Amino acid sequence: MSINLIQKFKDKQALSKLKNHDKEAFIRIYDENVNEIHRFVYFKIGSREEANDLTSMIFLKAWNHIQNNNLEDAKTLRALLYKIARTSIIDYYRESGGRIVASLDDEDNKIEVVDETQDAEGKIDQEAEMELIKRQLPFLKEEYREVIIMKFVNDLSLEEIAEVSGKTKGNVRVILHRALNALRELVEKERKV
Amino acid sequence: MTNRELVVKLNNLKKINPDQNWLKSNRELLLSQISNSGAVELSAWKIFVINFESTMRAASRPAYALGVFVLMLVVGSLFSQRTLNKTKPNDSLYIARIISEKVKLNTMFNSQERNKLAVQFASEHARDITAVLADPQFNTEENQDQVAKLNDSFKKEVVTVKEGINRLAATTKDQPIAQSELLTIADSSKDTQGIQLSTGTGAGNTAPIAINPINPSISATATGAVNPEIILPAVSDGALIASSASSTLVVPVPAADNVSDSDKILDEAQKLFDSANYTQASDKLQEAIDEIIK
Repeated sequence: MSINLIQKFKDKQALSKLKNHDKEAFIRIYDENVNEIHRFVYFKIGSREEANDLTSMIFLKAWNHIQNNNLEDAKTLRALLYKIARTSIIDYYRESGGRIVASLDDEDNKIEVVDETQDAEGKIDQEAEMELIKRQLPFLKEEYREVIIMKFVNDLSLEEIAEVSGKTKGNVRVILHRALNALRELVEKERKV
Repeated sequence: MTNRELVVKLNNLKKINPDQNWLKSNRELLLSQISNSGAVELSAWKIFVINFESTMRAASRPAYALGVFVLMLVVGSLFSQRTLNKTKPNDSLYIARIISEKVKLNTMFNSQERNKLAVQFASEHARDITAVLADPQFNTEENQDQVAKLNDSFKKEVVTVKEGINRLAATTKDQPIAQSELLTIADSSKDTQGIQLSTGTGAGNTAPIAINPINPSISATATGAVNPEIILPAVSDGALIASSASSTLVVPVPAADNVSDSDKILDEAQKLFDSANYTQASDKLQEAIDEIIK
């Protein structure tokens, strides 16, 4: 209960500070969320360079949004960042003429697994598995990819995903189930090949 | 591959992070961008106000919830007490009544009050047992086991009551009577006629008066005392009341008679109970309870 209270206090404090245009509060929010927002954008558009630019833009948009709108609850702050990220990605697609970049597996940006408990062979296997999944993600439906990244990569709750995507919790659960099955099939098919 | 294994592998994708140099440079860029669009550094006073407000907002709901919980607890306990007091020894809720009584006894700090309450509870149990046994629908051949148990319980409760009464009498006897309680003088100790009631040896023109509560007699030795007439009207509720024209003296005495009265009533109740005269036994027990409460 005390942990909840502390978290509640921190949320209220952050929200009040943001409403008072406190740049330190916003930078703290940036520090807490930049990695996952960047990851979300990266898995959606598939390019690291583009993800960097979009992430910068998303945080600037979020700042402007907070200054011009009345945020009721600090809980919605994370969801707000994801909502802005989604619309920014849609805008990006529109501007690029519907061209979908599906090159998550560029050789220059291989995943480096830092896991001290694994031996060298284990690390190689793990990296290979991750690469395999990463390569299959762009072939998933947009909707499926989005919920998989939010839920299993960035650890958003069902409520948060529902708020970001404008769906009900039940809908999100169903989509997640289908998305997982679809990704598993893709991964298994790729393994056989 | 199962979905669970797939989820574990997906979790590993968390390790994909943006480049640290980019993160650093972007942070600085963002800071400068928001500084140009109205971002400020809050003053210490503003931060204090925000922290205070946040604390109030964060704590208001739990405090409200706690208040409601305490209110429900108080209302619930009051309501349940009334309900439980009506339960009889053959009811399923009777155990709850016993527990609630034990809680009540254990939360009392005044030992005399606790003893009194324990005696009252025990006599109420005994009365309730007689009430149950008086019910012809319950007191049948089928319920002989339960009836036998209730008989035993009755005897135990009566013994508890008697022990409690004796303990009460002992504590009343042992308690030293405070000087201020012993002599209660309405009005000033010196009256217009020059009479002074005191337990010490008076100086000057004082008129020490000694009163024996068992055998009231008055002796006035003051030379200046004019007509030190004191009337001792009657013994009332274990106290002797002495009064003069303007003074009243109250002397408490132990309530030994109450103890013997209660004992007698209990003995009578037990005899009536043994002769299966439950209704009259119940009445007698009620009489005993009234005596104890008195």
